[in-house]
Amino acid sequence: MLFLVLIPLCGPCPWPLCLLLPSLQTYARFTGAPLKVHKITNPWRSPSGTLPALRTSHGEVISVPHKIITHLRKEKYNADYDLSARQGADTLAFMSLLEEKLLPVLIHTFWIDAKNYVEVTRKWYAEAMPFPLNFFLPGRMQRQYMERLQLLCGEHRPEDEEELEKELYQEARECLTLLSQRLGSQKFFFGDAPASLDAFVFSYLALLQQAKLPSGKLQAHLRGLHNLCAYCTHILSLYFPWEGAEAPPPRQTPANPESEEEPHRRRNQILTVLAGLAAMAGYALLSGIVSIQRAPSARAPGTQALGIAEEDEEE
Amino acid sequence: MCLLIWLVIDIFLPCVPVSTAAEPWPENATLYQQLKGEQILLSDNAASLAVQAFLQMCNLPIKVVCRANAEYMSPSGKVPFIHVGNQVVSELGPIVQFVKAKGHSLSDGLDEVQKAEMKAYMELVNNMLLTAELYLQWCDDATVGEITHARYGSPYPWPLNHILAYQKQWEVKRKMKAIGWGNKTLDQVLEDVDQCCQALSQRLGTQPYFFNKQPTELDALVFGHLYTILTTQMTNDELSEKVKNYSNLLAFCRRIEQHYFGKGSSSIRLS
Repeated sequence: MLFLVLIPLCGPCPWPLCLLLPSLQTYARFTGAPLKVHKITNPWRSPSGTLPALRTSHGEVISVPHKIITHLRKEKYNADYDLSARQGADTLAFMSLLEEKLLPVLIHTFWIDAKNYVEVTRKWYAEAMPFPLNFFLPGRMQRQYMERLQLLCGEHRPEDEEELEKELYQEARECLTLLSQRLGSQKFFFGDAPASLDAFVFSYLALLQQAKLPSGKLQAHLRGLHNLCAYCTHILSLYFPWEGAEAPPPRQTPANPESEEEPHRRRNQILTVLAGLAAMAGYALLSGIVSIQRAPSARAPGTQALGIAEEDEEE
Repeated sequence: MCLLIWLVIDIFLPCVPVSTAAEPWPENATLYQQLKGEQILLSDNAASLAVQAFLQMCNLPIKVVCRANAEYMSPSGKVPFIHVGNQVVSELGPIVQFVKAKGHSLSDGLDEVQKAEMKAYMELVNNMLLTAELYLQWCDDATVGEITHARYGSPYPWPLNHILAYQKQWEVKRKMKAIGWGNKTLDQVLEDVDQCCQALSQRLGTQPYFFNKQPTELDALVFGHLYTILTTQMTNDELSEKVKNYSNLLAFCRRIEQHYFGKGSSSIRLS
C-alpha cells in the first residue's frame, strides 16, 4: 500500500517550518509506513487545498494532521502498540504540555521576533515559493501567526509586551527542563522503542536545534540540556541519516510540478516586462510628454518666392 | 530639615520592596467569583472550585464572596481571584505560586519526574476539559440559547445584557478558531472529553490521589472540573455521562468532597 504526502518545500533548510510535518514524517519512519513524500511549493496544488495532505491508496484525501495519524493507526502502523494504559495517558498529557507551553514560543521565535523573521523565516519561504506568491504569502502567514499568538496568550497592553515575552520564554525553558527530567537517561520516552510522543517531541526539538537563528534564546537553553540534544541527534542518525548531513538544493528534487513551472515562470516575467513598457509608452504619448512631429510640407518655398516678388514690385 | 526628611521618605518609601513571604496568611483572605445562583457559568465555577479545593488542602482559610462584576475586578480578566493582605492574584497557576511563596506547598514531596508529570496533566486538563467546557457553553447553539446568554447577562439591564453576552461569545469563538476547535462538532468535542477522562482514570488507577497518599494541585484542578461537570444541570447530560463512565473518577470526587468540603452525603448522583 502506498501513501502519498504533500508537504511544503523549504529551500536551504532541511526541515519544513510547519511543526506537524516533521512529526508526521517521523511517526511514519518509526512505524515503517510506506510513505512517499512529495514536496511542493504551492499550497493550492495540493488535492485538498491545504498542506499537509495525505492521499491514501483508496484515493481518499485527509488533511487534518491528527486524522492522518489515526488513519495510519487503523492501517496497523501503530507506534503506541506496546505502551501500557498509563503510558498512553502520559503521552496525551505531555503532548498537551508541548502544545500549551512550547508551541507559542516557537511561533514567537520564528515569526514574531523581528531579527529571526527577517533573516531566516521570510528568506526561507520567499526563496521556496514561486513568483509572485513570495511577495505577499510570508507576510500574510506572519499576520495570521501574530493574531493566533495574541488570542492564545490573551489581550495585553503594549507596554506589558516585554514582560509577557519574558514570561512566555520562562515557561518554555521550564517546559524543556521538564522534558529533560522526564527523559532522564533513557533512549526514548517509554523505554527502548520510539512512540508517538517521541515523534512529537523530536519535531519540536529538532526544529529548534537545527535552525540557524540570529537570536536564539531558547536554543541556548536547549543546548544546555545535553540529554535532549543527544536524543535528537540519536533519532536523526537512526531515522533520517541522509537529510541530517546536507541540504539538497530544491531544484534537483524530481518533483514534476517544479520543473514545469520554470518555462512558465520565464514567460510570465517577459510578458510582465513587455506589458510594463507598453503601458509606459502609451501613457507618455497620450499625455504629451513625447510627441511625434510630422516633416514640413512642399508649399512653403512657393510662398517665400511670392513674398520676394512683392518686395521687388514695391521697389 | 524635617521637611527634607519627610520629602525623602515620601519619595523613597514606596520603592522599598515589601516582602510578601514574611507575612503570614491572614484570616480575612477572600475569594471573588460571580454570583453563584444566577450568573456563574460552568467553566468559571470549575476554576473557582479548583482554587477553593486547593486552599482547603493547604489548610488555609478563605471566604468566598460573590460579585456580579468579579470578571472585571480581576487583574487578568479571569475568575476566580483572591485578595490576600494587599495582594490580588488570579487563576490557579499564579495562586499556587503565591501560596508557595508564603511557605505552603502540596508538591514539595514529589521528585522531578513526578513534578513534570503533574505539570503535564494539569496542562492536559486545561487543554481538553476547560476548552470543552468553553466550547459547550459558547459554541453549542442549544446551550447558548437556553442557558449561557441568560445567565451571563443576568445582572445587567437591557440592552447591555445582550451586548455583553454576544461580545463574550464572539471572543470565545475567535479563540476556538485560533486553537483549531472552530470546526469541531459537538460529538468530536465529547470524544476528546472521553479521551481526557480515560487518561486521567488510567493515571489515577486505584490510588486515592494522583500522587498516591497526598493530594496536590493536580487533584484540586481535576476535582474542580469533574465535580462541576457532574453536578451542573446542562441542556443535555452527555458531558456528565462521559465522566460517569469512569468509576474511579467518581469515587475520587466523592472522597475529596467528603474530606475537604465536610459534606455528610455526596451531591453527586448516579442516575
